[in-house]
Amino acid sequence: MIWVDGVLVSIGEGGVYGERIIRGARVWDPYRSKLSALYYKGTILDLTPDMRVLYLGAAHGTTVSHVADYTEVVYAVELAPRPMQELLEVARRRRNIVPVMADAAHPESYAPLVEMVDLIYQDIAQPDQVGIAIRNRIFLKSGGMLVLMLKTRSVDVRREPEDVLSDTEAGLTDAGIRIITHEWLEPYHHDHAAIVCRNEISGT
Amino acid sequence: MQSYWFGDISEGVCMPFLGDVSATADRVRVLRVNLTDFMPPDWQSAVGCGVSRDRQDYISRLREVCILLAERRIWEEYQARDVSLYQMVRTLDEMDTVINLLTGRVIDWYQVTRPSFSRKYRRTPPRNLVRTISGKREGSLSKIASDIERLSETRTLLAREVSDTAENILPNCSALIGGLVAARLLYQAGGLSALARLPGSAIQVLGARTALFSHLRGKTPPPKHGIIFQHRRVHNAPPEVRGKVARVLSAKLAIAARLDRYRGVKVPEFLAEAQARIDAAGARP
Repeated sequence: MIWVDGVLVSIGEGGVYGERIIRGARVWDPYRSKLSALYYKGTILDLTPDMRVLYLGAAHGTTVSHVADYTEVVYAVELAPRPMQELLEVARRRRNIVPVMADAAHPESYAPLVEMVDLIYQDIAQPDQVGIAIRNRIFLKSGGMLVLMLKTRSVDVRREPEDVLSDTEAGLTDAGIRIITHEWLEPYHHDHAAIVCRNEISGT
Repeated sequence: MQSYWFGDISEGVCMPFLGDVSATADRVRVLRVNLTDFMPPDWQSAVGCGVSRDRQDYISRLREVCILLAERRIWEEYQARDVSLYQMVRTLDEMDTVINLLTGRVIDWYQVTRPSFSRKYRRTPPRNLVRTISGKREGSLSKIASDIERLSETRTLLAREVSDTAENILPNCSALIGGLVAARLLYQAGGLSALARLPGSAIQVLGARTALFSHLRGKTPPPKHGIIFQHRRVHNAPPEVRGKVARVLSAKLAIAARLDRYRGVKVPEFLAEAQARIDAAGARP
């Protein structure tokens, strides 16, 4: 990852969403992007130029644009039409983003499009986040990484965030996904945890 | 057989799909895959098929197909008739907020220019006050007041338009609670399909989110009504039966929303029965 004076940046065409530019590099703000916050919290998960990424819940394509700066190709899945409109504009100007308008909960609808990837990044505000991760595992190489951004309030508002996290982790472990670490994204994002996992067995 | 966007592969033999980008997009839409023993596509097979020259070519063609697919789907979503109603009612509610805010501001401002002015013992509605202020020569203050008046006129126009559109798109719901409230329900639910899938109990508390969650989390009483309170049937009902009216009305609305979504026309038999049932609920016990 590229840091300039303690600020996380990525190298690519700027002006995607009015981000600041320092010394020609695009500032990747931890308050706007959960993935950036994860790096600020000290997690080591390098994005490399040969990496293929499946990005579930791409939204307006702001974080996607930074991920695309670092990696070879990003398959960006988003269902809602309004964010997709913005994401398309980002994808038109970045040749390594493949926008997929589909529901991440139904990978069969986009399975003929998406190849095997090294990293699945999931940022979906849905109750069944474990189920979605497991269903999308068919795209994850053996030994590939899964980063799950858990918005505990979307799973169940009435329960304690810690309980939601431990339940989610148990669900992933039961499915044979090894959890490497988890990280609360305070102070950047409240009640959000990032779970970093590795796919032990082959996806199929 | 494995089906991919670029062709079908069966026992190592590839049947490439040779259509252009548009035809490929059509193909992807109707492709059905079974995820048990599915192998995701890889670019080497596409090259083997003769569809792509190399990896770069594979990604760039796939991108074209995906962008086209997404553009078409967005367009289809926006074609749905309820999308513009959603935007209209949202704008209407936003306009109300703005008009009220500005009116309050202008009256406050006017008051400091007239130390002897007071609204005590006068029943001047804010609207008339705004008209008075706009008629004075107070520079930008009067200008803002006349802007508010113009905004109110536009608001009235928009409200009528929302109501007409709602009666067209939500004929049964509108017959039960009026076009404006029906449109607001649609907005809160997030669209006609979403509204049609809600149970009556959820429709009853649509728009009462804060009260509902404070009830679920703590010991506060549950909300009896959300947006549907805006209809006179609910807010004019005697307090002791108001909750009952809200419940019966929302149960009928759930049926009405489904009729609107799947039939799209007024169903007089249903409406007559529903109206009678709601009126009966509102009768004093």
